Amino acid sequence: MNGKGQERIVKKKRLEPSRLVEEHKGSSGPYRIPRNQVFQDHRKFGFSNIMLVLVILFLFMPLFVVITYSFNATRGMRWNGFSLVWYEKLFFDSKELWRAFGNSFIIAITSSLVATILGSLAAVGIKWYKFKSRAYIQTVSFLPMVLPEVIIGISMLIFFTAVRIPLGMFTIFVAHTTFNLPFVFLLVSARLDEFDFSIIEAARDLGATEMQTLVKVIIPSIMPGVMSGMLMAVTMSLEDFVITFFVSGPGSATLPLYVYSMIRYGVSPVINALSLVLILGIMLIALLFRRFLKTIAASS
Amino acid sequence: MERKNHTRKLTAILAAALVIATLVLATGCTKSDASARGGKTLYLYNWTYYTPESVIEKFEKEFGVKVVLDYFASNEDMFAKLKAGGSGYDIVFPSQDYTSIMINQKMVHEIDHAKIPNLRYINPMILEKATYDPQMRWSVPYSSGATGIAVNKTKVSSYARDWSIFADTRLKGRMSMLDDMREVMGDALAHLGYSVNSTDPAELAAAQKLINEQWKPNLVKFDAEGFAKSFSTGEFWVVHGYAEAVFEELDESRWGEVDFFLPPEGGPMYLDSMVIPTGAKNVELAHEFINFIHRPEIYAEFLDRFHYPATVHTEAGALMTVQPFYRGEDMAAYELKYDVGEDLDKYNEIWQTIRYVN
Amino acid sequence: MNTHHLQERRGRRLGITYSAPMGLWLTVFFLVPLGIIILYSFLKKGLYGGVEWEFTLSAYQQMFNPNFMRVLFRTLWVATLATCFTILLALPCGYAMARSRNQVLWLALVIVPFWTNSLIRIYAWIAILSSEGFVNEALKAIGLISESLPLIYNQGAVITVLIYMYIPFAILPLFTTIDKFDFQLLEAARDLGATKAESIVKVLLPNIRSGIITALIFTFIPIFGAYTVPLLVGGKDSYLIGNIIVDQVTKTRNWPLASAFSLVLTVLSTIGVIWMMTSNASEKARQKSVVQVADTNGGLS
Repeated sequence: MNGKGQERIVKKKRLEPSRLVEEHKGSSGPYRIPRNQVFQDHRKFGFSNIMLVLVILFLFMPLFVVITYSFNATRGMRWNGFSLVWYEKLFFDSKELWRAFGNSFIIAITSSLVATILGSLAAVGIKWYKFKSRAYIQTVSFLPMVLPEVIIGISMLIFFTAVRIPLGMFTIFVAHTTFNLPFVFLLVSARLDEFDFSIIEAARDLGATEMQTLVKVIIPSIMPGVMSGMLMAVTMSLEDFVITFFVSGPGSATLPLYVYSMIRYGVSPVINALSLVLILGIMLIALLFRRFLKTIAASS
Repeated sequence: MERKNHTRKLTAILAAALVIATLVLATGCTKSDASARGGKTLYLYNWTYYTPESVIEKFEKEFGVKVVLDYFASNEDMFAKLKAGGSGYDIVFPSQDYTSIMINQKMVHEIDHAKIPNLRYINPMILEKATYDPQMRWSVPYSSGATGIAVNKTKVSSYARDWSIFADTRLKGRMSMLDDMREVMGDALAHLGYSVNSTDPAELAAAQKLINEQWKPNLVKFDAEGFAKSFSTGEFWVVHGYAEAVFEELDESRWGEVDFFLPPEGGPMYLDSMVIPTGAKNVELAHEFINFIHRPEIYAEFLDRFHYPATVHTEAGALMTVQPFYRGEDMAAYELKYDVGEDLDKYNEIWQTIRYVN
Repeated sequence: MNTHHLQERRGRRLGITYSAPMGLWLTVFFLVPLGIIILYSFLKKGLYGGVEWEFTLSAYQQMFNPNFMRVLFRTLWVATLATCFTILLALPCGYAMARSRNQVLWLALVIVPFWTNSLIRIYAWIAILSSEGFVNEALKAIGLISESLPLIYNQGAVITVLIYMYIPFAILPLFTTIDKFDFQLLEAARDLGATKAESIVKVLLPNIRSGIITALIFTFIPIFGAYTVPLLVGGKDSYLIGNIIVDQVTKTRNWPLASAFSLVLTVLSTIGVIWMMTSNASEKARQKSVVQVADTNGGLS
């Protein structure tokens, strides 16, 4: 180690305790790292804030179009007056659609959960410890991202058939977990890079067990990475068409399969209506969840 | 000691997470199975909406069973999946080329005619064209049709009502053709007076030349997924594709603005059939379903949904309540696209020069 | 390098405990299927898909087709361009999010649009970009243009929609790493006389290197394999390598060729990713600290 590196560590050490203390107050939610009060650059209309708002507008633009069309009285892309006809169809006449939606939902939750747990733990293990198979796991960890989807789909289908695992929800879950793992792993790894190990040593020196270190020190500090990873995994899982197509079995069609197979006759505006319902549903859950989190924070 | 304890706890957490995940998955699966009233479930593998939900519900009610639908977005996808080991479906709906391949590959069950009295309604004309299975030993026709050309009459006033419309330089940058090798090649072959199933190198080369030199320069793109959207927004004025896709995107009040026609020189047509794949678990019920579909009033309900002409069924046409988008007679000069076997490579090579090079 | 004394002592066992579940999962559910693909690339293609059990190198010979090469270079060009724009747009976003008091809200806003099916979002882009679409009508209304611009069915549309599809994948890793960045370092740099731009380029960017690399991997690789976007919003000239691979499996039923393509792409990207990761590790040793910035600034003034 050269002098500069050491200097950095010393400086960080000086900072960390205060961070830890603030984190344990837990006043602002479960994982927020306290904003730095010293370097004030919080101008509301700074370049980066404006860019963020513009990019989010860019991301929502097609969504506005989708939502607008969901209220269109007729099919197609020309406005013919306000109507709730597609919502009526969605709620009263779309049994198959809801079944596909339910399947998608179950798969997204389970596969992202398992991928997040396995991926995060592996990232911690690989970044912080040295062991023999480290290089192997590191290499294999991002491969599923590189291989074209259609190839993953076919090869997994052949594999499942060969080992006689019946196609269905379970095989979709396995496939989704597999392609989600690299994203979680790499995101959490990026978060762990240059992580200050001295806080772990400090925790241990103060008598914390490995489990306590994991729960009280490691997990809170990598939480933004874990959260991002999980969000990304849910997104990938809800989106995937090709791999799901190949590994799905009778009765396990997901929403993308349902939608893509409408291509030949034109995608029904009922799907537009579903988008708004989905977004409102997510917002509702988020609100409820927020209350719930706040009560927990208050009681502790 | 402490380390071991830790390992154990960690394993416990992981195990718990996996158990929860499997439980959720299991409940998700059993829920859909348990709701089958008669205990029996029929698994269909089809395009989304291709069998109207109302028809499915009637079948479920009458027979006290549950029907589960699964979807594919192209014959090729469906076949690749079945080929690699996908199974568990009771009825699959392939088009003629894949029907014949599945018959050749012994992937389908024999049809028991005694169980499907409604086979008497199948149009003999269509069976004549289905040379791979004229006796319906392995497959029962479901629906037949052809791709045609839709013209936006509010934008284009004078045009040729045949395939040469794509050579019209006045319409450059406003036209699209399907991104489908056999369809586009078949159109060009038919326009030149050849069979859409030609494997003669000279004829294929002539078709290639026609597409690359006269049609392609005028096309915006080859598009099978979004052409109907862009036709409805006015971006495209002339599109080659399925009538139902084009009209689905338009409000009925605008249907008068569209001229949809099948070029008189002929071209490729399709015939989707119902087959029972080997490995189907409900062969009996599958026969019942095929019989049910071909009841004249049920079949008319299906035709109404898509405004199809009654090309496959002899009786249902009279029971239709809507006007079909094109007439069955328009398809007189049309040929079924057959599987060309090894010669597919010739098509592939030509299609590469059309699609990969610009 | 970063591994401490203590960790090395305990490390072996713990590291394996932490990493083994993922390692095992990927070995069983990914490497074994990958083995099938490697095997397939050396077999003869079956007439109706699948393979015949006969060893041949013909799949690899077929790859050297000038038409394929042309598409490969086109894909490289499109993917590079789209990735650069995506990262450039994502950087300020990740920065603003990390500094915000409402991180969860911003995270949700970035991700939630993507929980709607991608097909209908791409269809919405067709409506937005078409000649009578939102963008053209808006530009006409302000009087900037009188004739509609050709915004759809060309390379530009493909790149725009690709950026749209993958920008959250770049924002998330950038946000995650910027969030742990110690902003006092920026202040220190400014105190020592660096301009704002200088402090960002010399202090912030080197410190979030791993985030940038992750963002690069998360965008370039999926974009390189993209095929629905070019199919839907591209024109005649927008066929990409992803389309060719899908075609080989479905349309031309040449599974060995698809396998060979995938294998070559996998090997190349693996080399690329490992190279980036190791260069990242060695770079860390020389990482710029406040002290260095101070040095250079001292030398300049």
